[in-house]
Amino acid sequence: MSHHFPAVLFLLPLFAAISMPVICLKHPDWSRPIALVVLSTMVLISIPNLNNVIHHGEVRYAFSGWAPPLGIEWVADVLASIILVALSLLGWVALVFAGPLSPKALGGRIVHFYTLILLLVSALTGIVFAGDLFNLFVFLEVAALSSYALIGVAGGRALFAAFRYLILGTLGASFYLLGVSYFYVASGTLNMADMAEKLPHLLHSKAVVGGLLFMFIGLGIKMALVPFHSWLPDAYTQAPESVSPILAALVTKVALVGWVRIIFWVLGARVIVYDIPVLLLVGVLGTLAAVIGAVLALTQRDIKMMFAYGGISHVGIILIGVSQGNQTGFVGGVFYLLNDAVMQAALFFWAGVAIFQYGVRTVEDIGRIGKQDLWLIGTLIVVAMGMIGLPPTGGFFGKWYIILGALEANNYVAVGAILLSTLLTLAYFVRLFEAIFRQTPSQSDIQPDEIPLSFKLSLGVTSAAVIILGLLSDPIVQLLLNKALPPGL
Amino acid sequence: MGEVFTALLSRPNFLAFVILFLWGFYIMVTRFNLVKKLVGMYLVQTSVIFFLVSSSAKRGATVPVLLSTTDPVEAINYTNPLPHVLTLTAVVVGVATLGVALALCAAIYRTYGSLDEEDILKRLE
Repeated sequence: MSHHFPAVLFLLPLFAAISMPVICLKHPDWSRPIALVVLSTMVLISIPNLNNVIHHGEVRYAFSGWAPPLGIEWVADVLASIILVALSLLGWVALVFAGPLSPKALGGRIVHFYTLILLLVSALTGIVFAGDLFNLFVFLEVAALSSYALIGVAGGRALFAAFRYLILGTLGASFYLLGVSYFYVASGTLNMADMAEKLPHLLHSKAVVGGLLFMFIGLGIKMALVPFHSWLPDAYTQAPESVSPILAALVTKVALVGWVRIIFWVLGARVIVYDIPVLLLVGVLGTLAAVIGAVLALTQRDIKMMFAYGGISHVGIILIGVSQGNQTGFVGGVFYLLNDAVMQAALFFWAGVAIFQYGVRTVEDIGRIGKQDLWLIGTLIVVAMGMIGLPPTGGFFGKWYIILGALEANNYVAVGAILLSTLLTLAYFVRLFEAIFRQTPSQSDIQPDEIPLSFKLSLGVTSAAVIILGLLSDPIVQLLLNKALPPGL
Repeated sequence: MGEVFTALLSRPNFLAFVILFLWGFYIMVTRFNLVKKLVGMYLVQTSVIFFLVSSSAKRGATVPVLLSTTDPVEAINYTNPLPHVLTLTAVVVGVATLGVALALCAAIYRTYGSLDEEDILKRLE
């Protein structure tokens, strides 16, 4: 039974998404309970799946019994299963958060919203589990299509941002597909495990080098790595408040997981092509992204824009971690990825509540949030500690292990970049807090309504998770070190 | 340099792919009309699909249906069917993307009354 879990985790949201427009044709109110039930079931299955994978080793699921490399394969190892637990939990919290917002923020298109969310979740599950490169492409595109539609679902200014995202995202997908076809032409296979056996003999081939480069460009666009990041801030800022948390938390991170799979599981960690270690290239781009993203975040006025650039800089930090070529750095990078998903969700929840309750969009307006609003101020302090990387939050331990890994590799530039981006993160949060606490009495006259319970719940759960991840950092890091390392690292 | 050109000329399918890809990319970057951008985008997608299909071609090979059930199978006699199957999926993905893109275009036109990027940017401010 338990070896069917990975397939069930993918098929459940997919079939729910397909059948939802039919079921909810006459009863639009049913869409929210259905989506919540599906996501709760996913949480309930993903945890025993993780437990099963930890105790009995990875599950390789061949669809319809066609054995790989000819059939389609699902690989649920510890890394994928951990990411999946985070994915379904965050999806669930994002749905809870979307409840009171959605009718207003989406212009009545509730059924569309929940259908697309379920489709997005199933596609992201597909990316995490996919055992061959072409399926990865298909699920990347399904996830991207549902993100374009989700951003544009409410109309208005978001439409143009969604269109730009679509143009760049499709270009990225084309590059990735081109890379996959180069790999296929060179090796004659698409299955990741099969290709990992064949590639070491082919590394001198120009087709493999070109394919790798095209794949990196394609996935770089999808994960908003710095030279290719221009679609992200506009898209996430203009997206409806109920949509941006789930996109910011999951989409770029899952594309990053796909890239980690390709470099560590398909190519092998120590690969050197034409005297250039692949990891060095990834590390240099990560270093640039970590610093440039944080600088751009500091210059923003719009708070959602600021948080979006913060996310871009964190993609860079994660890449620095995984590219150190040692176990500490890799584990730190993966642990930071989990933390970053939680923190991005929390920040966009926060921005959503601030916009919904106080109409705050820019740093200047933020003084309208009263000091007495303990939920907003308290959660912002906790999440800011995580983003800056102060103990006892998970952000601290993630950065700690990444820096340890960089020191182990004698990579002082990377250490400097992380410290610099930490300082810049501190600076833009100081800007936010200064604006909040400098408020004049006249501004605090506004007495807003009580914050709805679901907002409190989603803000509370994510900021608690930031601290819990920090407190539990030791067991999680040990688990990653013992079970989730790629072969040969 | 000459070596590169002879290598390109001996692979006309690759040359055609590169021309189509760059042409599409050029249209995407230089045109302000959103529908023209989509035409460029579709050209880029199609060029990649063309490359994938053309990689399966073999001189003197036939369709991948067994010629005889008794003789041993010789792979050299048949074109590779797998790229065609991949292409089918990639075409479906491309069409879905185009559908979403056209829907977005229609919604943008209804909202802003224009499909010109510069007009829309002016109205956004």
